[in-house]
Amino acid sequence: MKGLWRYVLVRFLLIFPTIFILVSLVFLFMRVTGDPITAALGGKLPPDQLQELIHQAGYDRPLWIQYFEYLGQVFTGNFGTTLTGNREPVVDVLLRYGGATLELAVYALIVALLVGIPLGMLAAKLRDRWGDAALRVFAILCYATPVFFAGLVLKLVFSVWLQVLPPSGRASPRGVIALDRVDGATGIYLIDAIRSGNPALVGDVLSHAVLPAIALGLLTGGIFLRLVRTNVISTLGTGYVDAARSRGVSEFRLTTKHAYRPALVPIITVIGLQVAMLLGGAVLTETTFEWRGLGYELAEFLAARDFVAVQGIVALLAVIVALTNFVVDLIAAAIDPRVRY
Amino acid sequence: MSALSARVGRLPLIRQVRQSVGLQRGMLVTGLVLVGVVVLAAVFAPLLAPYGYAQLGDASGNFGAQQSPSPAHWFGTTVGGYDVLSRLIWGARTAVLVIVVGVVLSIVVGVLLGLLSGYLGGWLDRVLVVVADAVYAFPSLLLAIVAAIVISGGQSGLWSGILAAGISITVIFIPQYFRVVRAEVVRVKSEAYVESAQVVGASSARIMFVHALRNSTRTLPLIFTLNAAEAVLTLAALGFLGFGIEPTAAAEWGYDLNRARSDVTSGIWWTSVFPGIAIVLTVLGLTLVGESLNDLADPRLRARRKAKQR
Amino acid sequence: MASAFRGRKAAAASVAVLAAAGLALAGCASSTPSGDGTDAPVANGELVLVGTTDKVTTLDPAGSYDNGSLAIQTQVFPYLFNTEYGSTEIQPDLAADLGTFTTPTDFEVKIRDGVKWANGSDLNAQDVAFSFNRQLAIADPNGPSSLLYNLDSAEATDDTTVVFHLKAENDVVFSQILTSFPGAIVDDEVFDATAVTPDDAIVEADAFGGPYAITSYTFNETVELTPNANYQGLLPAAANGGVILSYYADSSNLKLAIEQGDVDVAYRSLSATDIEDLSTDDNVKVVEGPGGEIRYIVFNFATQPYGSAQADADPAKALAVRQAVADLVDREALATQVYKGTYTPLYSYVPAGFVGAAEPLLDLYGDGEGGPDAEKAKATLEAAGVTTPVVLNLQYNPDHYGPSSGDEYALVKQQLEATGLFTVNLQSTEWVQYSKDRSSDVYPAYQLGWFPDYSDADNYLTPFFLIDNFLVNHYENQAVNDEILEQATTTDPAAREALIEKIQADVAADLPTVPLLQGAQVAVTGKDVSGATLDGSFKFRFAPLVKG
Repeated sequence: MKGLWRYVLVRFLLIFPTIFILVSLVFLFMRVTGDPITAALGGKLPPDQLQELIHQAGYDRPLWIQYFEYLGQVFTGNFGTTLTGNREPVVDVLLRYGGATLELAVYALIVALLVGIPLGMLAAKLRDRWGDAALRVFAILCYATPVFFAGLVLKLVFSVWLQVLPPSGRASPRGVIALDRVDGATGIYLIDAIRSGNPALVGDVLSHAVLPAIALGLLTGGIFLRLVRTNVISTLGTGYVDAARSRGVSEFRLTTKHAYRPALVPIITVIGLQVAMLLGGAVLTETTFEWRGLGYELAEFLAARDFVAVQGIVALLAVIVALTNFVVDLIAAAIDPRVRY
Repeated sequence: MSALSARVGRLPLIRQVRQSVGLQRGMLVTGLVLVGVVVLAAVFAPLLAPYGYAQLGDASGNFGAQQSPSPAHWFGTTVGGYDVLSRLIWGARTAVLVIVVGVVLSIVVGVLLGLLSGYLGGWLDRVLVVVADAVYAFPSLLLAIVAAIVISGGQSGLWSGILAAGISITVIFIPQYFRVVRAEVVRVKSEAYVESAQVVGASSARIMFVHALRNSTRTLPLIFTLNAAEAVLTLAALGFLGFGIEPTAAAEWGYDLNRARSDVTSGIWWTSVFPGIAIVLTVLGLTLVGESLNDLADPRLRARRKAKQR
Repeated sequence: MASAFRGRKAAAASVAVLAAAGLALAGCASSTPSGDGTDAPVANGELVLVGTTDKVTTLDPAGSYDNGSLAIQTQVFPYLFNTEYGSTEIQPDLAADLGTFTTPTDFEVKIRDGVKWANGSDLNAQDVAFSFNRQLAIADPNGPSSLLYNLDSAEATDDTTVVFHLKAENDVVFSQILTSFPGAIVDDEVFDATAVTPDDAIVEADAFGGPYAITSYTFNETVELTPNANYQGLLPAAANGGVILSYYADSSNLKLAIEQGDVDVAYRSLSATDIEDLSTDDNVKVVEGPGGEIRYIVFNFATQPYGSAQADADPAKALAVRQAVADLVDREALATQVYKGTYTPLYSYVPAGFVGAAEPLLDLYGDGEGGPDAEKAKATLEAAGVTTPVVLNLQYNPDHYGPSSGDEYALVKQQLEATGLFTVNLQSTEWVQYSKDRSSDVYPAYQLGWFPDYSDADNYLTPFFLIDNFLVNHYENQAVNDEILEQATTTDPAAREALIEKIQADVAADLPTVPLLQGAQVAVTGKDVSGATLDGSFKFRFAPLVKG
């Protein structure tokens, strides 16, 4: 047990340099790409006036001074105030849009699990037959289709031709206003809609979630499918399953229970790793479907060169990813002692 | 095991095609054919494409924008008045260039760092591992966008676009090559045959590297194809987000998809469907090859000849 | 209500229920701070849903200088002067008169007596003076204070009189500027005198004095505007029961929304493809109005071929190159192929629709009827002794002036190269870098666009052709410079118009920029929506919109 605790401690301490490196990288990158004042007014003002504004804002000071100033702020828990848009504390931006991204990530994860696990088990069951090949190609197609192309096709089919699902947004205009009026709104629309007690509002929110959840969920679902298949096949070949087979356990039960349980462990690990990917994929999914979450805002702030906001959002993502990796490594270490340092 | 890997390394692909059976062979061959088509299109683009990628008209005048498919333009024309088929074919060239740049850079840097880190160990090793983990956790698309702006100075020429996509892919994939190679070096370092080789007189570093690389060849093909596929997807995503390559500098599928967004909702399907399918099939081909190679290298996943005959 | 969701099949029923429920919720929302009774909806019409792709920077007029923010500010803040629907002549709005110069630098305006903000407090001259002084004090980087270049300070001499102390004498442009970005009047009890006030604070305090007040605000997502019963001004009270403004990021999503009835009005900006497709749809109407937006090529007099910083510098040859470009561009082809008629050819510096607009380039260049003339270009270059083909490095920006810029400049390149007179190296650069490069002599010739800050010809001359201009393209013509300064203080309208025409003719001979296209304003409405008015004010006002 002592070895495990030592590992936990080392692994926990490693979170901090990881976040530090990411925040520093973003700081440097963003300063190289330009400032928010030029982004907003480059087409309106003469260069000397622009330079004057840049000077007033302090963006022309030596980079290292700005860097230590920023680090000092971050250490005191101050992520600054956005330079563009609503000029609000970055923490408020994270709270408001974080809920939306979390909501989409959860929907997508549900789709991914619903698609990946049963189909993966089916593929393992049908191993080396046509069904297996078809499912594997399907899994690769899920991964190979860029989310923006999948988005175009989904919109074309379900919004333009069939007209059964809304093409964009998190709720209809009236829905957003109704949700805004829910007392103590959480920003997670499904929860707010349920609390409003209005079933039509819940339906509105859910119908808006379907297409983005499918687009993002299939991306991850394909990876789950492949993973479940590989792991079930591996465990089906172990003596443990052979023993069960010799006891006369049916092939169906073999696949679903005996081979599946051990196969689940690596899946949990990958779900953790997929958090990073879901957050990354969210940028494209959110912009395609106008889902106003962190990814959507990140793209907007990036275009406006609002480095304070971009740094804040990336720092949050870094913390989430680092924490998830930490938890995943702990699970892995608890299961397999060889992983420990 | 290492002897087998060594032979695999020497005779790439042909060996695996022979080794595979049934559906597994089918998937590998399908993948190879798809990749082959893209590479051929890239190499022979000037011969295959009916028009130039930036050609707006010919002797009989301008093509016109958003013309539906016709004998003169099999896949129609884009909103900018380009021939869709021609840009499709020329786009393969851009995609292949990005794959080459991205993969070569990632392999060289990733493998070198992995060897160095694993061999030297100590503080350098620890720092590199932490940095690799951190970079791996970085939202890759954000990195690509920022890299695109930094590398090209915001300019969207052919090479700046290719380098932007290629280098951002490199940054994301270096940690993966790094991890695999480093792990192998660390493992080989502790094994007995290095010591026996030293007795024979070979330099320990050289022996280790050769062994480590041979052992890594089992996992590297998968990373390699994922790397190539990811390069294509990143290029397309950059193009789609508007950080891509200027249309008169090169044809790029992501850019064409971006410009086709309004077309889709106005019933003009040909401008988006063809470049979209081109991206999907290229990535599909690369991934099929990678997965098949991975399966063949893993005895548990290799298709059983006997099982088929039963 | 169901008609608002025309076109939906399966979802229609559930959404219609929602719509009714949404209204019910709006009615019982008195627990929220903004619904304290003073802004109870004037129930004289249906709600109108408006969709846009423009974005708000901030509601505070001191912190925003963009069309998206202005679009909502004009609905909720009072202005001293305004224009009636369909007119460009300025009229008193919150003001009681058009103002008088008591001295050449003191501009005195009387305002209406007894006006109140939506929250019930008094709207008086102190608010007006406060609004302008805080613009000058804040001078926010993203704010419009630079337009108040001629204002020294504002002063309220009593509750209904405000005096503007100006720097230059007899400024005829100043009252035009008051109708625009920096002219919005804000509540001195709510707004911060020295800092940009957050949107939520403005909404919570109900600090609105325009035809509408904001009653629900989700930043850049959805805004609910309810008619403001306390509004007194030039424009008639709102004809609808309120407006819900929805923001879209992508024009194709906005297009689907108007097509399927999710919104009743789509304004700024649908793509040319969207508009062409919608114009064949019987369920919607396309409304057009004059546009102030212009697109043009800038030449840098130092770095262009034969420019002053080149080894082979020769002003005559440099002029010939610019003239040849003007001869060769086919604006009609650009307007039809790339923009499908949503832009029209532009042969002048002051676009059509403004007092003083002329078309000097029509006679001077091309075939004299607006088309290109390759022979003329060739002759011009030969006469100046220019060796052909001329290598021209042309830059455009793909992300600031609409996604069609790439198509536009690819076609320009083709037009210039078709005759063999030019070899064009076309490049694009993303916006931030572009803004830096263009003003530091990196680009010999490049694309820019302009959207007017206020509805006056001056806004198309002063920023561009003074010796100290924002293009920094080293164009120096003392005569033009003096004429531009003169027209800004010429109080006689006829004399000023003649002067503006002369300036354009002079500039057309020098060609520091080659104007290409002028944009029309386009709105698309459902077939049961009326009252959409697009005029020379370039403001889309929600008050006259009626549904049903």
